[in-house]
Amino acid sequence: MEDDSRFTEFVAERANALLRYGYALSGNPHDAADLTQEALVRLHRAWPRVRGKEDPERYTKVIMARLHISVWRRRRREQLAWAPPETPLHDVLPSDGDQELWQALEGLPRKQRAVLVLRFYEQLPDAEIAGVLGISQGTVRSHASLGLARLRAAIAHHSPAKGNAS
Amino acid sequence: MSKDLENDLTRVIGRAAESAPQAPSDLPTQVMGRSRRRRTRTLASVTALAASAVVVVAGGVALSVRGLQEAPQVAVEPAPAPSAERDTMPGPVEQVWPDAVRKIPAKLPEGRKLRPVIFLDDRTLLMQTWASHEKADALYAYELDTDLTRKITDIRTPKGVFASAFTAGAGRIFWQTIEDTRTRLWSVPVAGGEPAAVPTDTPIRQGADKLTVTGDRLAFSAFRGGGVFTVPLDGGAVTPVENAGRHHILSWPWVGTPGEYTPDEEPSFEELYNVETGELSKALVRPGDRYVRCGVTTCVGVNAAGKPFFRLRDGSQERELRESALHGLSQDRFMTVRLPRPAQGEALVDLVTGKSGDLGLRPDAKGQMVSVQPGITNDRLVWYELKDKLVIIDLARIASS
Repeated sequence: MEDDSRFTEFVAERANALLRYGYALSGNPHDAADLTQEALVRLHRAWPRVRGKEDPERYTKVIMARLHISVWRRRRREQLAWAPPETPLHDVLPSDGDQELWQALEGLPRKQRAVLVLRFYEQLPDAEIAGVLGISQGTVRSHASLGLARLRAAIAHHSPAKGNAS
Repeated sequence: MSKDLENDLTRVIGRAAESAPQAPSDLPTQVMGRSRRRRTRTLASVTALAASAVVVVAGGVALSVRGLQEAPQVAVEPAPAPSAERDTMPGPVEQVWPDAVRKIPAKLPEGRKLRPVIFLDDRTLLMQTWASHEKADALYAYELDTDLTRKITDIRTPKGVFASAFTAGAGRIFWQTIEDTRTRLWSVPVAGGEPAAVPTDTPIRQGADKLTVTGDRLAFSAFRGGGVFTVPLDGGAVTPVENAGRHHILSWPWVGTPGEYTPDEEPSFEELYNVETGELSKALVRPGDRYVRCGVTTCVGVNAAGKPFFRLRDGSQERELRESALHGLSQDRFMTVRLPRPAQGEALVDLVTGKSGDLGLRPDAKGQMVSVQPGITNDRLVWYELKDKLVIIDLARIASS
């Protein structure tokens, strides 16, 4: 089936980028894999309509962001089709300060974190973030400023010389 | 650090994301399998035959026969109903509705496949040929009275860009192309000519889920997030339709929320708004109802007890159905159901008259069968390929008595 071959091609090309995005959103490999898998299943079900009408990657990222902030994610979780291996964080974040900031992100409510990821990782303007998350631009701005304030506060509590947690 | 917090965030999130897991090489297969199993569950629960019936999966994959709509991905083969409940086999569609059904050649004389798109008028079909899957490269008019095919225009789109959402009115055919950052609208006279862009004062950022001609304007609704807009047929200002900021076009002048696509199984078109009269309509949805698909006047779905139902939007005239329509009713009255064994094909059912007709489709040796799914946002045309012919059904020509 030609549709399936195009879908396969899309997944093969973009799955790793989606996993990175899922990791940025959730902060852990299991949720990253879970979000990616669920969004791709939904994409597949909508594939004949989505492909040709819009950018499937963007479509998938919108689903992932919305899933991540939705109640759905806390209620229901399907078994993963594969067990993602963990990469030690200090391999990619050797600096203590960077690790602290990453850990401080964990303390944020999901919506605040999602807004920061869309703004600083995906580099989206606020209007697009509002569209992705289905919230108003005013809410985007308030989540961003609250999130940034919390990060500043969290980082200020730690001394810069704190040891490596891993 | 806090002064540079924003720069730090970009760097830290970007680097941390590099430790995300890698996708396994069989991820596409796993995802497709999961998608189909989920579809099976959906089908199984909407099928809900007689209490004694068992639903088993044939494992067959159905092909979409309609370009841009979600196709059912798994053929479900119901076990035979007890003989007392077994349906009688309907006659062939062409005998049940002779005025509405036509069989025409599936190919142009030089051999290229023709794919029906919409009715241009009562006796003329708009057809397209494809350069590759779903990539239209030419439009044709097919006169049903004379069986003559006339080329209207060639369509050239860049790689990865597809012409979609065809509609017709005011002697012209309109469609869209969606590129990375903008959507363009196009038109060509039905009489023939070169496609011309419909210029807009502001770029259209989102793809449309439906275009429709209304008087001297072209209306469209944004696929993602909704929002109904109009633009003069010859181009100009893109004007949002008031009070329809989240709406999708169902059937002009009716627009509604949410649209047809409801990823979390919300009732589609639960709320409707008539952009001409301001009339509002909220469909009755009972607790426990699932897979609810509403049209301008009716809804179908599966109730809390697992029984497929039909009712008017206000909740009246409710009754049980043998099966539920996956994509809702077309024209508020038509759906397809699976035929009982041994045929296992599909029948078109008219809920207004109670008549049904066998589409003639049958599973192949592998148990796979094309499934025809009329739906709420589809127009009067139902078509499918059968034995090298195209079967064309004009739902508007099926009498309601």
